[in-house]
Amino acid sequence: MEIADGVTPQGLGQDGPDVLLVHWSNGHEGRLGVRDLRLACPCAQCVDEWTGERQLRSEDVAADVRPRKIEPVGLYALSIEWSDGHSTGIYTFERLAQMCQCDACAAPAPPDSRPA
Amino acid sequence: MPTEQQVLQALSVVEDPDLHRDIVSLGFVKRLALDGSTVSFDLELTTPACPVKDELKARCEEVVGALEGVSRVDVTLSAEVRRPRPAGEIMPGVKNVIAVASGKGGVGKSTTAANLALALVAEGASVGLLDADIYGPSMPTMFGTHAKPMPAGEDRIHPVFAQGIKLMSIGFLVDPDQPMVWRGPMVHGALSQFLRQVEWGELDYVIVDMPPGTGDAQLTLTQLAPLAGAVIVTTPQQVALIDARKGLKMFEQVKVPVLGIVENMAYFVCDGCDKEHDIFTRGGGRRAAEELGVPLLGEVPLEGGVTTSGDAGQPIVGRDPDSPAAQAFRKLAREVARQLAIRGMQNQPAGDSLSMTWQS
Repeated sequence: MEIADGVTPQGLGQDGPDVLLVHWSNGHEGRLGVRDLRLACPCAQCVDEWTGERQLRSEDVAADVRPRKIEPVGLYALSIEWSDGHSTGIYTFERLAQMCQCDACAAPAPPDSRPA
Repeated sequence: MPTEQQVLQALSVVEDPDLHRDIVSLGFVKRLALDGSTVSFDLELTTPACPVKDELKARCEEVVGALEGVSRVDVTLSAEVRRPRPAGEIMPGVKNVIAVASGKGGVGKSTTAANLALALVAEGASVGLLDADIYGPSMPTMFGTHAKPMPAGEDRIHPVFAQGIKLMSIGFLVDPDQPMVWRGPMVHGALSQFLRQVEWGELDYVIVDMPPGTGDAQLTLTQLAPLAGAVIVTTPQQVALIDARKGLKMFEQVKVPVLGIVENMAYFVCDGCDKEHDIFTRGGGRRAAEELGVPLLGEVPLEGGVTTSGDAGQPIVGRDPDSPAAQAFRKLAREVARQLAIRGMQNQPAGDSLSMTWQS
């Protein structure tokens, strides 16, 4: 989903053990597979800060990785503490919208190569 | 004698010039009472610092007074500051947290923050001031107090009450002669603790005096403090404007609305004449505001009294309220309150339910 300026998440939810729901202020109901989110972590450990190259490989992340806790960061992002202990990624609202996997948004966007 | 309905209908032609809606649908008209030929009601605005309050009151008196059978209109002005975003875990009782920032040091950021806080108090608001300039806290000097904050329960502290505001500074907690030498992770920890453990209570506004620049400390503050908006202080020179632009970009990245720019040291008023002397190029702030697409909130003159007042422990708004600089700060406060009210009505803040614990 492309988000216009000022469109923000109004609430979060869960659909089963591995899908995060994002209720957007424009009415969009976002869906995100949690493992894809973990793999897309934009933090400096998971993405090389200088080259933008992704350091985290799919085989490094357990199939059943889950969030433990989700918290807002300022007015622009969420941080997720994961079951594998990782917690340094900041997921901007913009990026969460881009990654949306609901039927309307269809296929997930390719992981961005630059840290947010 | 008119009915209540007729009075409300008459009032519905009065529009708030900033919010572009009529005062009845905005819910500003409260406690309407008709008694014989006297109509009385409260006009409850969104901030006590509303710059057009007198104008609105006069319009109300005019339209209601024109109704048949009305001989007297009593309008009482009041204000209920609105909260642009839901209360979170940090500063839960504070309705609006405003950052005062600058791209570089030496532009008068702390002076602006202190005077803005006092000017909001003078307008009738309840105000706190958080000196988050951890490297060089200046509020203890500006407010002439080195009081130690009192503990509030086990691990919380009360702010210090000074000149009508609740004040908190890292300078209260450490030896004033001790330089602050902090590494990045320590900065984050200290600020985070500072934001969580001060017992602010219920306040309309808290002004945060940010450290100068756009580094670690600033980023931590924008990520943790529930900022309703930011004010960027600059001076007329071109180099200062370049830094103002940096500050603006930082707030844009973290989606904190920039309420506008304040131009400090905009001109000089000498004590011998009232002429406004342009020491630097005049109009730099206005040009910057236009270029950056944000409002110019105010132009504060360079005046000897501004710094001497600060150094003497009472900012100029309190010490010399009639001086041109104090008047400029009062105007600034009304403009800041106005921008917040406008944004509070338009914004779609992120929901308050963005915290969750995953159910496995």
